[in-house]
Amino acid sequence: MERTKMPNDGPGHRLLGTLGALMVTLAAPHGQSMAAAPAVPVEVELVPRSPEQMSAFYEARGFPPAMVARLARECFITVRIRNTGREVVWLDLAQWRFSADDRPLRRYRRDYWKKKWEEMNIPLASQSTFRWTLLPETLDYQPGEVEGGNVILERTSAPISLEANFDTGPDRKGTPIRLHFDQLRCAGEAP
Amino acid sequence: MRQPGIRQRLMALLLYLLAGSTAAAGTPPGIRTLEPRPAPDFTLTDMDGNRFSLSTARGRWVMVHFWASWCRPCRREMPAIRRMSELIGTDAPRLVLVNTAEDEDTVFSFLGAVAPDLSSLLDRDGRVTEAWQPRGLPATWLVDPQGYLRYQALGGRPWDQPRYLDFLRRLGD
Repeated sequence: MERTKMPNDGPGHRLLGTLGALMVTLAAPHGQSMAAAPAVPVEVELVPRSPEQMSAFYEARGFPPAMVARLARECFITVRIRNTGREVVWLDLAQWRFSADDRPLRRYRRDYWKKKWEEMNIPLASQSTFRWTLLPETLDYQPGEVEGGNVILERTSAPISLEANFDTGPDRKGTPIRLHFDQLRCAGEAP
Repeated sequence: MRQPGIRQRLMALLLYLLAGSTAAAGTPPGIRTLEPRPAPDFTLTDMDGNRFSLSTARGRWVMVHFWASWCRPCRREMPAIRRMSELIGTDAPRLVLVNTAEDEDTVFSFLGAVAPDLSSLLDRDGRVTEAWQPRGLPATWLVDPQGYLRYQALGGRPWDQPRYLDFLRRLGD
């Protein structure tokens, strides 16, 4: 298992985690830190987003102010996953563990938000767009496929760790992939 | 001793040619062949208020494309779809764009700038998109003349490239 570390340098920072025997860390512009290993089966890129960024995005889509205000309280991380191998890689967010201060960190699942938006009488169009901005709970990444979206965590000022586990192979019985990320941080401050 | 060598070389050449023709007839990168299943029908209106039902398009291949203007890969892909529609000719599948949960003004201003010749259906509340269960946006399916889902594109594709154009033209063969 390889490990990458990310300084707390704000929402523009990118963290790219890969699995493999070799890892090359590359200097990137704008203070970004990127790691790459050419012969590994998956790339995971994590980009923390500030409440201001997320609010601006959702406000521009016409989301109701109450919906934007509720979302701005939490910690957004945009995840981009690319299957760089030749086998199917299975994303199952139930196999991802976020933690901070040595305790599990809550990840808000789709069903939480569905219930919340229904309670708040949020228009269906906004609910739909919101769902499409989330990372799928499960997805069988085909070779070469790239998909992404946001994960929403309980906001914390502490460094966040992530254990991201993937099954592989058509029947999920291939060599599992285990990635570990440290020093991830929520971007910005809650309003 | 040289004769088997020649035979082997000829066999290798034959296999190479066969493999090449198979590859040429295959699907382009990122196009997934599906177990055929009925495409979920829908009825939506476009930006001009015209109604369209997928079931009325039977008898011809249909390319159903879900998109949203906020989605970066969708924005990147739309110019390729526009060029595809210009290049492909009359053998093309019918192109059906479905915008996911945006309002008319947003769709109109985006397409007006990027693909003014194209029109899009409006899935105003996103329910049709949900019913199709895309892997993400953008999402493209090819529906055969009998109304069955046959191919799915993984993410955005360079539809205006020759390999994709050839593939789309061959669908009618």
